[in-house]
Amino acid sequence: MGMRQIVEAPVVIGSHSWVRRNPKDCSLLKAAGRGLLSLPIGALLNAFGAIVLGAPIGIKYLARTAYWSLLMSLFTFVPAACVFGSSRIDWQHFVACDKPTEITDYMIYFPAYGAVVGAWVGAWPMPLDWERPWQEWPICVTYGSVAGYLVGLLASSVCILLYVKRPTHTKSD
Amino acid sequence: MAATTGRPTKWALIWPFFLILALHSLAIFLFTRGFLLTRTELSSFSHCSDLSQPNSSNPCSFPSQPEPEPEPEPEPDGKCWTRPAVDRLVIILLDALRFDFVAPSTFFQEAKPWMDKLPVLQKLASGENATARIFKAIADPPTTSLQRLKGLTTGGLPTFIDIGNSFGAPAIIEDNLLYQLSKNGKRVLMMGDDTWMQLFPDHFERSYPYPSFNVKDLDTVDNGCVEHLLPSLQNEDWDVLIAHFLGMDHAGHIFSVDSTPMVQKLEQYNNILEEVIEVMRSQSGPGGLHENTLLLVMGDHGQTISGDHGGGTAEEIETSLFAMSMRAPPDAVLSVLDAIFCKVNLAGEKTCISSIQQLDFAATVAALLGIPFPFGSIGRVNHELYALSAGTWGGQRNSGKNCNSRSNLEEWMQNYVNALCVNSWQVKRYIDIYSVTSVIGLPSEDLSHIRQLYTHAQDNWSNITRSSCLAKNDIPYEDHGSLVSTLQKQIDAYSKFLESVATLARSAWTEFDLILMGVGLIVMLASLFVHLLAIRRVHVLCQSCYTAPTVSFISLRSIVVYLLVLMRGASFLSNSYILAEGIVANFLLATTGILNLSCSIADGKFAIEELLFLFINIILRLGIEFGISKQTAGSTSLSFHFLSILPIDKDHPVLIGLLEIFPIFILFVVAFVMFKCSSTLPCRRCIKFCFVGTVLSYILIAVHWVSESNVVNVYPELQDFGKNIAPRLVYAIGFGLLVLLVLSQIFYQKATVSDSTEKLAPATAAMVSAWSSAILILLGKRGSFVALICIGGAWCIIKSQKPATGRDITKGNSGVFFTDPVNITQWSLLAVCLFFYTGHWCAFDGLRYGAAFIGFEHFNIIRQGLLLVIDTFGVSFILPILGLPFLVGHPHQSTREDRAKDVPFFNLTKVFLSYGLITAVTTTFTIICVTIQRRHLMVWGLFAPKYVFDVLGLLLTDVLICCASLLYY
Repeated sequence: MGMRQIVEAPVVIGSHSWVRRNPKDCSLLKAAGRGLLSLPIGALLNAFGAIVLGAPIGIKYLARTAYWSLLMSLFTFVPAACVFGSSRIDWQHFVACDKPTEITDYMIYFPAYGAVVGAWVGAWPMPLDWERPWQEWPICVTYGSVAGYLVGLLASSVCILLYVKRPTHTKSD
Repeated sequence: MAATTGRPTKWALIWPFFLILALHSLAIFLFTRGFLLTRTELSSFSHCSDLSQPNSSNPCSFPSQPEPEPEPEPEPDGKCWTRPAVDRLVIILLDALRFDFVAPSTFFQEAKPWMDKLPVLQKLASGENATARIFKAIADPPTTSLQRLKGLTTGGLPTFIDIGNSFGAPAIIEDNLLYQLSKNGKRVLMMGDDTWMQLFPDHFERSYPYPSFNVKDLDTVDNGCVEHLLPSLQNEDWDVLIAHFLGMDHAGHIFSVDSTPMVQKLEQYNNILEEVIEVMRSQSGPGGLHENTLLLVMGDHGQTISGDHGGGTAEEIETSLFAMSMRAPPDAVLSVLDAIFCKVNLAGEKTCISSIQQLDFAATVAALLGIPFPFGSIGRVNHELYALSAGTWGGQRNSGKNCNSRSNLEEWMQNYVNALCVNSWQVKRYIDIYSVTSVIGLPSEDLSHIRQLYTHAQDNWSNITRSSCLAKNDIPYEDHGSLVSTLQKQIDAYSKFLESVATLARSAWTEFDLILMGVGLIVMLASLFVHLLAIRRVHVLCQSCYTAPTVSFISLRSIVVYLLVLMRGASFLSNSYILAEGIVANFLLATTGILNLSCSIADGKFAIEELLFLFINIILRLGIEFGISKQTAGSTSLSFHFLSILPIDKDHPVLIGLLEIFPIFILFVVAFVMFKCSSTLPCRRCIKFCFVGTVLSYILIAVHWVSESNVVNVYPELQDFGKNIAPRLVYAIGFGLLVLLVLSQIFYQKATVSDSTEKLAPATAAMVSAWSSAILILLGKRGSFVALICIGGAWCIIKSQKPATGRDITKGNSGVFFTDPVNITQWSLLAVCLFFYTGHWCAFDGLRYGAAFIGFEHFNIIRQGLLLVIDTFGVSFILPILGLPFLVGHPHQSTREDRAKDVPFFNLTKVFLSYGLITAVTTTFTIICVTIQRRHLMVWGLFAPKYVFDVLGLLLTDVLICCASLLYY
């Protein structure tokens, strides 16, 4: 139960920060709506990915997997959905991790890929037999994704600062 | 063969395979010699006269009682090293006797159906002042019967390499209990498991051996034992009787612990034991046959809930030992028994359970019988077992001589200290000689530590004997408490020494030859280098013939491959990762699948096969997790079954019927898919024939499964046909097809081939299908589902191959195509996943012995060994490697212009080389990890089996690649 709270807390914090940020993006309320709509879709995709990669299945883990995938969705899918909307080309570029062309691309790519890679790497302590409570399914993965996300944010800020050529109205972290 | 101009000959392409095979064999041979060669067996033997020799520097020269007057000869009662405590010994060995079979169920968290089934033992061991006792006996891994018998009789730690000999047990050349028994005039009567005869061919006075290798046979050995045991108990013509019952081990292997046959076996044993004890009791009066007999009922090792053993888990090493002396020892002596683990049993009586190391068995028995301890024994005379037999001195106590005021307890302690003194001296002698004669010996600081302990104990002892009651004058010792405490101190000192020896032996016994290991490792690394060169060479050859593209070794996708393989290799450093290897492989496989999927999305396509691949991954993972839960937790999660999620009664007839029909249905789906595939291929006649044969085998498999099921009542003739003849026919057809294919490949090569690709695909398909039927039947009923997953996974990988237009592979105009390394890695990872999915794991208890007896009742080392190999490596090595050419027959290739028709062979060579390289890199990592972890606690439990499996897999891979290259090219 305490674990669930650990998982829940970052979810809440993350959602707040993103919900606040959504309207600031280029679009208006529509973007925020798109983001909200994409949240469960992204969560489903992430959950599927997690299950493919070995997340435990079962009623016991359902809530945890849901929390985790919502969090991942916030990190990866929601911002992309807010910015790209339904632009097919942009999504393809996003998935292919092509070289970012715009400032917003930096903003989205780096944290999102950071979160995914972080979560992937964060899974490594799980098989170890240390029998610590944080080795349970979503916890270390969550830490990994948060860490990766933060690194991604940092990297994106650095990149934006380095490559900034015109004044931008979006950057506000 | 026929080399067209400019095209390199067949041999030019395939000789590197053989070179690599040779290098790997050499490296593995060297490393194995260094790693698995563990203990030097000393050929010295203990002799009765050792103690009395003047130069033996033996401080215990006052054998059992320090006599003031030097006695000229050893005492007339035949005392040799220690004073005999019992005259006769009955050992009833119940193979794979779990601790909870014997101990009352109140000692465990919950009562299981197999507990409390030996109430006769529990009853005798319960209550105050019981003369019998239940011990928890701790065995040392490896917990296979042969190793344990060796350990029990030599008192040493049998080494890992012996596991290989387990099927053909060689005679023990070291000093052992039975040698000492026969040497010292004790007559040994043996009945039961014939492994004893192989271990001790001429040590028995009489023996009634019965064959033990047929796992399905639960009763032959036991009935034989029963037949001879009770009559023999009435006879006088033996001193030590060994009855080895085997049924429980076999019942565990075939039916698992939680099964009716196991419970029946336990009940049968209970009846036998009741009768045995009855007979012995009736003769235990003064002058009776069993006046002075000790009864030991013991297991050689435990077993997991699924009936496996061999490893070092608690369930496997914890067996029990029940000891009962026919004459009750004095109460005072009984007070030395530990009363730590006491609980009330079901009948409301207090039962206490002690613990004993199996290592101590040989020394204790030798001390009790008064024979020399085996030379290599490093055990300690167990005080509780020794105390239980103490009553037998009562009659012959010659207490009038000195210190006549000593109590029973003091006398017992005196005897025990003497036994320990001899014990310590013998162990010390062994350790000294061992450290001198063996190549590497033991760590010197540990040696000096135990020497110090020994000197301390002995000095102490000689001081005591000089100054105390034990000394000459007849002054009665006043202060009894002080004598007891002095003796107790002495016992503690000896025990400390012996315990530290055992610890040292356990921790540092395995004697690695680091030089050989290092050389082996270097050769292995060199072979990796050769591998890389060979891959490079293929490119060069290819470029010399065609304007092939220069494939860079560093691209995004190849980096992914390197990373995956390296990560998988590095994960073997941790024992938990070895346990979870299947999951890890599946994780990496899924990663490649997701990467592929994202690539195709990035290219703007939505590929159904990649999605399907991910789903197959999920199925694989669930299967692997099920296998792991079976392997580790055993008891807790065996009852877990996928169907148990559904709210359906497990015994519902419809469900059972469905479960029986489902595999057969899937089997026909597989056959249909295979038929469909084969019809699209351009085939020669004999290859068509091959498919027909395979389909025929499938029908036979279906018949076999039907006859195995309990639902349908078929005619006995048909049942017999299905059970025995059908599997044999399947094997025969598989073998026949294989021979046919090989012949046809050889002769067909002469004929001109229009297109090499056209030749390759049918040959591969025929090859795989010829193997498939035998592998399928060995896998049992889930085999058909496994086959479907195999086909599905392979199809997905083949389909998801990126055309050469991918952004990472520069494309030349010639259309030369090389298979993407990602796909080869996927193929290899899929093979690893299948290994675990089919219920195997890298341990000797992971072998599915039951599979070796499909279609056969009797054991034959070559036949059953072969079947076991096919079962173990079939899905994970034989099929994937023989199926590798599928990766070459690429759909995008059909548009190729004609001149590139030899290119598939270059590609195939590269694919084989890459696949071999992946396996070799993994094995190299295993070797490195084993080298690093050679002092790890789990080295024999996990790392060494992993090493053996990986090494066998690598050799098999190399051999198969060589065969395949000969066949396909």
